[in-house]
Amino acid sequence: MFVSRSMTSEVITITGDGSIFDAQEKMTRHTIRHLPVIDAENTLVGVVTDRDIRSALPYSLFKDPDCGSGREKVEALKIRDIMTKDPLAISPTDTIQDALLLIQEKRVGAFPVVDENRKLKGIISVRDLLRAFTNVLGLGEPGILLCILVTEEIGQLKKIVDAITEENISFGSILVAKYWEDDKRAVFPYLLTQNVSRVKKKLKDMGYHLLDPMDWYLDQLPKHK
Amino acid sequence: MMKKTGFLFDPRYLLHDTGPYHPEVPERLQAIYKGIEEADLLPRLTEIKALRADIRWIEAVHEVDYIRRFEEVCYAGQKSMDTPDCAMCTDTFETALLAAGGVINAADMVMQGEIDNAFCAVRPPGHHAEAGEAMGFCYFNNVAIAATYLRQKWNIGKVGIIDFDVHHGNGTQHIFEKDPTVFYYSIHQHPSFSYPGTGREFEKGTAEGQGFTKNTPVLPGHGDEEYRHYIKRDLLPAFERFRPEFILVSAGFDAHIDDDMSDVKLSTDAFTWLIETALQLAAEYANGRLISVLEGGYSLKRLPELASNHVHALLDV
Repeated sequence: MFVSRSMTSEVITITGDGSIFDAQEKMTRHTIRHLPVIDAENTLVGVVTDRDIRSALPYSLFKDPDCGSGREKVEALKIRDIMTKDPLAISPTDTIQDALLLIQEKRVGAFPVVDENRKLKGIISVRDLLRAFTNVLGLGEPGILLCILVTEEIGQLKKIVDAITEENISFGSILVAKYWEDDKRAVFPYLLTQNVSRVKKKLKDMGYHLLDPMDWYLDQLPKHK
Repeated sequence: MMKKTGFLFDPRYLLHDTGPYHPEVPERLQAIYKGIEEADLLPRLTEIKALRADIRWIEAVHEVDYIRRFEEVCYAGQKSMDTPDCAMCTDTFETALLAAGGVINAADMVMQGEIDNAFCAVRPPGHHAEAGEAMGFCYFNNVAIAATYLRQKWNIGKVGIIDFDVHHGNGTQHIFEKDPTVFYYSIHQHPSFSYPGTGREFEKGTAEGQGFTKNTPVLPGHGDEEYRHYIKRDLLPAFERFRPEFILVSAGFDAHIDDDMSDVKLSTDAFTWLIETALQLAAEYANGRLISVLEGGYSLKRLPELASNHVHALLDV
């Protein structure tokens, strides 16, 4: 779960004396929104985002860089004039949970990843994190998600896992979420099979409540303000 | 006017044994046969023989390595392949060849004018089978093989596939997703609530095939009314634009309210309406040429009526 495993290592970068049009072109070509700004020694000196570029350009030039008026004036402007200097960065040995919390807290779309000498090692974006969690959820593999409502007491999960394992069914993932009643938890096993009728009946016979799929939600906690 | 309808069934389709606690059982076909027999429809149907598929037509869809591997693990007595869902016995490989070959034979009979349309009651089913992987009770993708056969052998320019099995036909979609000559339409339970987890609305084909795949996910608990609305909204305009010259139907009966493989709640009548709609499209664009191939459907109680209604609609009596 380290950032180094989920980050993009082949980073598209720009230097401080690059032009705004270079940056805009790089972002469009690679469909990205953040460019780390580096010096000749690959040291991180800033970050420039598509928003910085949008703010720096008059509307006519943003829409059509070749025909808008005032191009010469903007060309004189360098990346170092519009970038965020000394941006927040994280380390390859931070975890993706760190990255997730930090991205949420700082409300940014990506963090440059640097070593202890602030040499650029990569970039981790919301997109990389989504990919990591898509994998955690097992979304790429064929299967069925069940939702089982359990009272919160020790050993519930074991019983459920045992019951499913006895049916020779493998797990893609298993999530446990808070439910609306204090003493309840919702368990979401993602089962790598098409054949769940029998195991569903078995779980019901064991006294578990299988939630109607239309009533599912993974997250019952109040939304973060 | 009454149609000449072919019916494919062979007792050898019962030999594929999935072992205990598996819903894809030979009794499904027996229920289907019984339903058609007891509705007195057999005398009106033209028999389609289950021939063994020429391996080159299987290879037109599936990877050679996959076919070899299937044959080997099957005759080695392995109990399943790729996933425990794909349970098998030593007869499975041969049965799968007979299923695909039977559907190919149906295609020949339609193209030679011997029949107008056909219902193929085959096992194992096919729409989950990928080019190189067995999945979801499926080994050879019968419908994909038939579509490829029609394209290559009979020079059919455009084949339209309608898949109303309650699960998304990931195999069929992936096999044709880059191909603008085969349109894949599927209506199924929403992938966030159902196997196999593909068939989202935004999956519309790739590369050259962009716009030649269409998926309609249906939420759990929904039924006849929503299906009618979605079919009119999604399938009819898509096929009006595409104008298929031949229609293949992946007929799964597992969206029925009494089928415990899904939470979609279609009535028996809705299935009649579905095949009638497919037939109207075939009449309009494809000279009536339509072959329906069995996929899922696990309610042994409902399969007899669903099958006889289906065949009734094909016969147009």
